Amino acid sequence: MDHKNAKKPSYSRFSQQELPAWKPILTPGWVIASFITIGALFVPIGLLAWSASDNVVEISDRYDEACVPDDFNSNAESFIQNPDTKKTCIRNLKVPKKLVAPIFVYYQLENFYQNHRRFVKSKSDKQLRNPEDENDLHSCYPEANTADNKPIVPCGLIAWSLFNDTYKLSTRGKQITIDKKGIAWKSDTKAKFGSNVYPKNFQKEGLIGGAALDESIPLSEQEDLMVWMRTAALPKFRKLYGRIETDIEAHDTIKVEIENNYNTYKFGGRKKLVLSTTTWIGGKNDFVGVAYVSVGGICLFLAINFILLYVFRPRRLGDPSYLSWNRHPIN
Amino acid sequence: MSSNPQIPNPHLQSSSSQSLNFGSKGLRHGSDSEGFSMSRRDLNDDDARLVYVNDPLTTNETFEFSGNSIRTGKYSVITFLPRNLFEQFHRVAYMYFLIIAILNQLPQLAVFGRGASILPLASVLFVTAVKDAYEDWRRHKSDKIENNRMASVLVDHRFQHKKWKDIQVGEVVKVSANETIPCDIVLLSTSDPTGVAYVQTINLDGESNLKTRYAKQETLSRVPEKDFINGLIRSEKPNRNIYGFQANMEIDGKRVSLGPSNIILRGCVIKNTDWTVGVVVYAGRETKAMLNNSGAPSKRSRLETHMNQEIMLLSFFLVTLCVIVSACAGVWLRRHQDELDIMQFYRRKDYSEGQVENYNYYGLGMEIFFSFLMSVIVFQIMIPISLYISMELVRVGQAYFMIRDDKMFDAASNTRFQCRALNINEDLGQIKYVFSDKTGTLTENKMEFQFASISGVDYSGEKTEFYGEQGGYSIQVNGEIWRPKIKVQVDPKLLKLSKTRDDSISSKEIYDFFLALAACNTIVPIVVNASNPNEKLVDYQGESPDEQALVYAAAAYGFMLIERTSGHIVIDIQGERQRFNVLGMHEFDSDRKRMSVILGYPDSTVKVFVKGADTSMFKIIDESLNVDVVRATEAHLHSYSSIGLRTLVVGMRALSVSEFDTWQTSYEIASTALMGRAGLLRKVAINLENNLNLLGASAIEDRLQKGVPEAIESLRKANIKVWVLTGDKQETAISIGYSSKLLTSKMSQIIINNNSKMSCKKSLEDALITSRNVINVTHASEDDASSVALIIDGTSLVYILDSELEEQLFELASKCAVVLCCRVAPLQKAGIVALIKKRTDDMSLAIGDGANDVSMIQMADVGVGISGQEGRQAVMASDFAMGQFRFLVPLLLVHGHWNYQRMAYMILYNFYRNALFVLVLFWYVLYTGFTLTTAITEWSSVLYSIIYTAIPTIVIGILDKDLGRKSLMTYPQLYGSGQRKESYNAKLFWVTMVDTLWQSVVAFFIPVLAYWKSDIDGSSLGDLWTLAVVFMVNIHLAMDVIRWTWISHASVWGSIIATCICVIIIDALPMLPGYWAIFNLAGSGLFWICLLGVLIASMIPRFVVKMFMQHCKPCDLQIAREAEKFRNSMEITRSGEIEMNLPHR
Repeated sequence: MDHKNAKKPSYSRFSQQELPAWKPILTPGWVIASFITIGALFVPIGLLAWSASDNVVEISDRYDEACVPDDFNSNAESFIQNPDTKKTCIRNLKVPKKLVAPIFVYYQLENFYQNHRRFVKSKSDKQLRNPEDENDLHSCYPEANTADNKPIVPCGLIAWSLFNDTYKLSTRGKQITIDKKGIAWKSDTKAKFGSNVYPKNFQKEGLIGGAALDESIPLSEQEDLMVWMRTAALPKFRKLYGRIETDIEAHDTIKVEIENNYNTYKFGGRKKLVLSTTTWIGGKNDFVGVAYVSVGGICLFLAINFILLYVFRPRRLGDPSYLSWNRHPIN
Repeated sequence: MSSNPQIPNPHLQSSSSQSLNFGSKGLRHGSDSEGFSMSRRDLNDDDARLVYVNDPLTTNETFEFSGNSIRTGKYSVITFLPRNLFEQFHRVAYMYFLIIAILNQLPQLAVFGRGASILPLASVLFVTAVKDAYEDWRRHKSDKIENNRMASVLVDHRFQHKKWKDIQVGEVVKVSANETIPCDIVLLSTSDPTGVAYVQTINLDGESNLKTRYAKQETLSRVPEKDFINGLIRSEKPNRNIYGFQANMEIDGKRVSLGPSNIILRGCVIKNTDWTVGVVVYAGRETKAMLNNSGAPSKRSRLETHMNQEIMLLSFFLVTLCVIVSACAGVWLRRHQDELDIMQFYRRKDYSEGQVENYNYYGLGMEIFFSFLMSVIVFQIMIPISLYISMELVRVGQAYFMIRDDKMFDAASNTRFQCRALNINEDLGQIKYVFSDKTGTLTENKMEFQFASISGVDYSGEKTEFYGEQGGYSIQVNGEIWRPKIKVQVDPKLLKLSKTRDDSISSKEIYDFFLALAACNTIVPIVVNASNPNEKLVDYQGESPDEQALVYAAAAYGFMLIERTSGHIVIDIQGERQRFNVLGMHEFDSDRKRMSVILGYPDSTVKVFVKGADTSMFKIIDESLNVDVVRATEAHLHSYSSIGLRTLVVGMRALSVSEFDTWQTSYEIASTALMGRAGLLRKVAINLENNLNLLGASAIEDRLQKGVPEAIESLRKANIKVWVLTGDKQETAISIGYSSKLLTSKMSQIIINNNSKMSCKKSLEDALITSRNVINVTHASEDDASSVALIIDGTSLVYILDSELEEQLFELASKCAVVLCCRVAPLQKAGIVALIKKRTDDMSLAIGDGANDVSMIQMADVGVGISGQEGRQAVMASDFAMGQFRFLVPLLLVHGHWNYQRMAYMILYNFYRNALFVLVLFWYVLYTGFTLTTAITEWSSVLYSIIYTAIPTIVIGILDKDLGRKSLMTYPQLYGSGQRKESYNAKLFWVTMVDTLWQSVVAFFIPVLAYWKSDIDGSSLGDLWTLAVVFMVNIHLAMDVIRWTWISHASVWGSIIATCICVIIIDALPMLPGYWAIFNLAGSGLFWICLLGVLIASMIPRFVVKMFMQHCKPCDLQIAREAEKFRNSMEITRSGEIEMNLPHR
């Protein structure tokens, strides 16, 4: 290299900031086209979602108040805390439309903060997977060990508060079988909950928070526990109770025998039993359809407005007469 | 340089003594400053360092002086970790990270796990540490080379080789020609019998010319090997002032004072002197060179200052969010007070132990306090601390592009653009005032002798094409041909006259004139080899380019200076070698504005030659001798300066024996005085320099740099006000103003040069009225006719600056399109910059090349140094340095514009990006009983600003270009967008925040409503939010990218892919709560519907507003962008014409 220009920066398109580039400019055509495309896409999707939601049959029954006998009305808590009261409660549900199998049975809790900071962390993932880690309890207090310092398996508030209402459904005097197999996530049964971890010292003393577990069944087969331990995102949530594989005809009456054990009375939580079919967008939810149709509608509306704008106030692209120094010269 | 004690207070109004603080001129008069300070206080032993000459043991006995080994490396292997961490935590950003991380370690506040909470801090620390370690390793490597260089040191009466690192204070060192000085030494003797040593200080201050240093007479005759020098030097404590040194030496019972001209600093190179011997006074890290090894001055950019205000607002938002959350948490706890004990998801009471007690509950007040702290931890990224780091990276990238820009490479001086300050790149896009030096900045500072006026006769005739016969004047020395290195055009008539030697008066005067040019200077001739083996070139080295030009001119007319020592000079006059004794020299000072030399002729007559500025010279010229000549010369001078030439006047007087004796006695007394030497010498000079016989005047052209008129025109079109501040005469300044197109004939000029405060006041008032009238009368039109040019001189400024008249001057100056300040002192330059800086919010840029511009460069918001002829002090003090004035145009209009646009967008985008995430977290907190649970996993929260969204903003911040270089250069007006703060202002901030609020609402509530009353679990919904937010911020960025290169594509879409991969990895780890959530989620249609809905719905308002504004209120940049894309080059020129022809639409 010539000595004189020894320090001259060597040329490259990169260092001179001249890399080939795509410089899109949104012309009126593009703007209108994109609004129309969005509109054309969103309105049909919205309508589809709407109709899907419309096809879902959902029966929901709030039973927490109705299942407290009248004489305990003023003091539901003492009813639920008393082990000697009769907790069984019968509810009759009308079927408005035919329920086509599979029908999902949910319990719905409201005002129950499964996402509460104290609650979500109160479990030991290690302990659930591996029997050797049964003493990994640091996150489980105050439900970590028994008075004589034996570890509780599964420890923590989540497991301790396992939902323990049960439902028996029958129609026309015939029992409907609720299939409780396969309600938990496959991944949970395989990897998160150990097949050689068995419940120990669980719900044995102190305060009883919810259901007890059969100590002979490993955690990986305790599906109710697994469902419960997938903590819900919002304070109003459903949990899968089981699945019914037979259709239920319209206008039938379903007789539900509820064991009303779970204490939500303390904090005004609500309990509901929900039977629902599903479609591709899940359960009954009109919001998605409405939202899509409105977004699509707004886009079409905007497209029209922009067309009008471009027609009545056209502007030649790149017209130098719009430059500020051409419009109002500097003094 | 920022803490250099030399940097004068810009508000001081001064002309004389302070000027010796400025660079080379000051250095030459080292004796001045020394005498000056010595007179004020003598060194007492307490603050002196005692150096016993050639006795390092005694010297280092009582005091532990630093050895000569240097360590510019900051760390060793052991100290690296603690020291580096310590330094990093000096930054506020890191302290914030640290405090948050520490808070999170308290068990009550543990929002994130240990690992997740430390990761952001750790990754930032790690990146910085790796960078620091690499830089330090390079420094260690160079230290090692430095420390192991060899020097010869006097040991046992013999000079022996020693490694640099082993040299100690007090030792005597011998340095040969072309060797580098290992430490700061006081000269004892040199190969020159008069004790002169020539040094090159290029490593120290970048000045390539030679400087002279002197050994003291008391020591210069000693031969160190034989004579034992028993001296004691008392010197000041090590300091970083490279132009000052005061000390004294006790030798043989005599006390000799030492000044800056007696010390040679580490890093200098000995030239033209066979050897020098000196004693080490400062070594290693105490040398002045090392003490000056500090980085560039640190300034904070305007944009960053504004940004910090907005960050205060964001902190306020953060506190508001935290207060809302903690207050709600308090209310919630209060309402559920009685239920908390056994509530399944709270369980305040611990029943597992014997006695029942509260578990992890510290009372309502503490719980509220804890929720507040926890919400600070959760919402921490509301304050975009990572932005500071991103900004640094982006600035490095921008600096890379500025440095590598081949259009800012100066081939003539082989210099690239330099970014010395790394944190004010974006200020370059908002400049409103440019303050420019003239000499060396607008002009080349390559002086060329043009005309001469000798005894009233003007020799400014036609120049010959050839340079005298056979390519210029040459002489024969030992069979070799010596010729001057630079050829000068000659006036044939004068050349002929200069060759004729007769006794006519005119011939004598011409002889004296050229003798004065050749002798009355401080130029050192250096003979260098030429390409032709029989030929040698004489290179004239000196500090003043004017003197160089004069000596070259004298040589071209046959008066060739070929040797200079401190005692004599040899001049070849028309082939005849003549030796003159230099009996004394009164060097240039800015008080007298002239210099003189006393020459002893071979025939032992003595004459004094004086050369100086016309104003100072005409005062001391004896007009009675020849009035006509004086008048004619004055007329010539006027005509020279009116065409932009620099003029000097030369005078001479023969000294009678008695006069000479008087002078010599007082000169000797003055130059050996210990106190007030400078003042005494000046007095002696003033006594001598009078009643001179006028010889003539010279005119030197300082040519305009290439492209200056065009550059100034571009800057003015860009609505940047260009002020020229020069030390030159008014006529010269005005003529340069015309030739650089700064002034046009249509402009009305207001000239202020007064000698008293009252008259200044009056002229200012008159000028204000005039300017108003001019502007009003020609209001309709927009061109130069309505503009006013203000020309003001330094004398008037003395009365105006720092008085109540400043306000009026500012008012007047802000009305003027052009301001020319002539005859200004360096400090006044800074004063003028301060005048603007104090009163307006507009950004100012100062550009200069010389030591006299340093104060101005440091005062302005942005300082630009020209790496030119006058040395490098301006460059050292500057934020940016470049080779040519015209590079200012691409620097400001192109790079400055891009930097500003990029940085402004990046800041707003980062605010948006972080606030969006925080708001989504915040909405969720409202649904968790205000307990600060996050559905988004802690790892995703941490990786959000590190991986998910970090890279695109940096890449776009470095690479995106809103307009091409060509458009920006063709339409300088586009620069206005930065001046008007169009890309970053309070309104944009609030619009962005409102948009963020909308987007967060969409991102949060669409999924919540879609999954309302469903069996969705927290982790799944969290994953949906993570993906939605990351997609949104990347799409948002993608919508604003103007120029998609493959790198931008890779970074934006790559981030989205990286995010998906990270989310998948996080959900594939069984020990995390969200195990497998993303896989279950992705199998459901609702998830995809939600994601698409969120993306579209969140972007619609933004898109609509942007499109509407683009169509109805297009900004200049938008139009230019469209023009760039849709019009071919033909039409661009056509629109250029429109712009020229139809300005008054």
